[in-house]
Amino acid sequence: MKKLRLRRLLAFLFAFALIAAACGSSGSDNASTDGGSSDDSADDSASSDDSASSDDSASSDDSADGGSGLEGTLRVLIHQNPPGVEFMEGFNADFEAANPGVTIDMTVVNADDIPTVNQTRLSANDIDVTTISVTGFANAVQPYMTGADSPYWQQLIEAGLLMDLSGQSYLSNYDQAAIDGSSFDGGTYALSLGRTSYSGMFVNTDLLADVGAEMPTTWDELVTACEAVKEAGLKCAVAGGQDAWPVFVGTYGLLGALYPDQQALVEGLWDGSVTWNDDQGIKLFERYDYYANEMLDAESAGLTGDSAAQRYAVGDIAFGPMGAWNAGPVADNADFAWEYIPFPGSDNAADNQTLFGKDDMSFAIAAETPVADLAHAYLAAFSEPDSYNAFANATNYLPTQPTAALESALGTSIAPILQAGNFAIGFEQLFVGPKGAGQWANAKDGSLWMYNGDFTDPTEAANQAQADLEAGLGG
Amino acid sequence: MAASPQKNLFGGGRQRLYPWLLLLPGLGFYFLIGVGPSLATAIYSFTDATGIRGLPISWVGWDNYDEFIFAGARSRDNLDALQRTLIFMVLVTTIQFAVGLVMALLVNQKLRGRLVFRTLFFVPVILGVAVQGLMWKLFLRPGGGPMHEIFGLFGLESQFLGGPNAFYWVVVVQVWANAGFTMVIFLAGMQTVPADLYEAASVDGAVGWQLFKNVTWPQLTPAVNTNFLLNIVGSLQAWMLFLVLTGYRNGTNVLGYVVYAEAFGQTAASSFRQGYAAAASIVLFLLVLALGMAANAVVGRRERKYMS
Repeated sequence: MKKLRLRRLLAFLFAFALIAAACGSSGSDNASTDGGSSDDSADDSASSDDSASSDDSASSDDSADGGSGLEGTLRVLIHQNPPGVEFMEGFNADFEAANPGVTIDMTVVNADDIPTVNQTRLSANDIDVTTISVTGFANAVQPYMTGADSPYWQQLIEAGLLMDLSGQSYLSNYDQAAIDGSSFDGGTYALSLGRTSYSGMFVNTDLLADVGAEMPTTWDELVTACEAVKEAGLKCAVAGGQDAWPVFVGTYGLLGALYPDQQALVEGLWDGSVTWNDDQGIKLFERYDYYANEMLDAESAGLTGDSAAQRYAVGDIAFGPMGAWNAGPVADNADFAWEYIPFPGSDNAADNQTLFGKDDMSFAIAAETPVADLAHAYLAAFSEPDSYNAFANATNYLPTQPTAALESALGTSIAPILQAGNFAIGFEQLFVGPKGAGQWANAKDGSLWMYNGDFTDPTEAANQAQADLEAGLGG
Repeated sequence: MAASPQKNLFGGGRQRLYPWLLLLPGLGFYFLIGVGPSLATAIYSFTDATGIRGLPISWVGWDNYDEFIFAGARSRDNLDALQRTLIFMVLVTTIQFAVGLVMALLVNQKLRGRLVFRTLFFVPVILGVAVQGLMWKLFLRPGGGPMHEIFGLFGLESQFLGGPNAFYWVVVVQVWANAGFTMVIFLAGMQTVPADLYEAASVDGAVGWQLFKNVTWPQLTPAVNTNFLLNIVGSLQAWMLFLVLTGYRNGTNVLGYVVYAEAFGQTAASSFRQGYAAAASIVLFLLVLALGMAANAVVGRRERKYMS
């Protein structure tokens, strides 16, 4: 009987040990989590006792290693972007070398997964510095957008999961538009590391000269040039049809050219003063149709976004309606003269001067990070002009620091446009659909619908887009 | 003399509780991992939960269901997705069932190399969805992919996963990915059919189709029923191949994908709407339950007919 009791006792202890082991790991992280703002950073720095018990803790005690005084592990999340990842790996190595007590634990995720990863890791307080957005904060729900759902970054701010960076000295390195684009409700919750243009197209100027075509400045000139190229047995344009979305990237420029005030377009769609099937809307869809079914070569269907840029660089295609991020492969492989120009979608050349785009990679700090001082030091080091300039040139992002400049061929090509102030946030970043709107309400994707064969008649597509929008507006 | 009562295996008194105590960990695990989240999902479906810590959760009653089924054009899209889910189920269940049966019949023959073919037919099942999707994206690549070349031999052209028939190409991939599993269940059933039944039928003059119709098919009843149910439930829940092959694209979404997209910010609004997604998943659950029960009734009747 005693043996039986002993066995029961041992079994109980064993089971208890298993449960304790299973639960133990969840309690060891982030013992100090009361820090939020930068003002609290000193409090957030763990004591030496805490340091011993947690890898995540940081100490401001200069005597610890005789260096910067920073130590601990900084958990960083960025999105997949090969040149960006390569740069960040080098930057992290340099930061660790300069701060011997610091380890950077960097995670790379696909851009599409950023919302999900941020939702889970910020909610679990499992990240310190994160890429909060690759689209900027432009699509906040405006007062006239009755009943619309908030985008996820707004939800995260409203949940108090992102730190307000207002007052941090490194913000002053960035231009005001970048700060405005990362601000919401009186606070600055992100650091816009660069902008990108998605409304332009690469133009093979050598090829145009060979076929006797002029650089197009209006829609009609673009059509004329395209026909001349095709008559010469060459290809007019190519885009990444296999990935689908690269097809409509180029036509952001078409949308922007026909509706130069994109904010007014969004507001007009909400209040009914603009419709997708009015004269201008029908024109937009007719041009979508021409672009998708006449301009783009059939070869596009087999190309991804990246491979389309490489294919364009071969030299037998006149136009590459693509994002500025494709400039790297084009510059590396093209043996011809090229330029990157705003898509000439309007009949009025003056409306074809603007590159539309977005704030891209934006860093944020988790409000409850236990290593707030380390996180700020990391962003401050990144924001040093030399460091930032190297980053911008590595990634081809249009710089958000006024002292930085792209030295690449893309930078040279678009410098006059940027210097003239002709860069604007595009419709994609501004539009929020009304609740109940159908899947065709956002006509920015219209060229893809025509390309995929979802619609064959531009007027029918325009009518469907407006009907789906009105279904949400209650019209 | 009255029979003595059977002695309790665990003795009397408090020891009678031992079986329940031994079951407790398993039951606890089942409720924690299975029943608990299901009940929580049902409760969440009546809230505006986002899944983001720190945001308040409010009770919204039937609003999520009302929006899902009745609100604007979005409800039309949802009902389209529901209809597409049913079409997907019918196509996949029918084709996968037939293909799996034919494959099982082929590899059940006493032919040289049948073990190799069994393995080859089953291999797609063990590949993950991401691998399956990647392989087929390459295979269906317009402009140079193998299928493009095959189509070219007949003067045909298609954008495959990029065109208006993308949905049907996903059906093809789903069948390819899972037919091996159907085959294995049929094969196991075929190998339990007593050889003397075939011998007796042969003595009676049965050959070929008659053997299959009068011996194999009735004896396969349990396998048929199992495959029927698994194919229905599996196809109703399938959505990951859509994620990999087509992405969140108008005209191809099935209900499972709508649930994922709404819950995790993958729609155009990029908003986390886990309460709404929970309502959508309850609709999907009710659909699976209703069709599963109906199918179960049909196969149960069939089983009683053939196996009694």
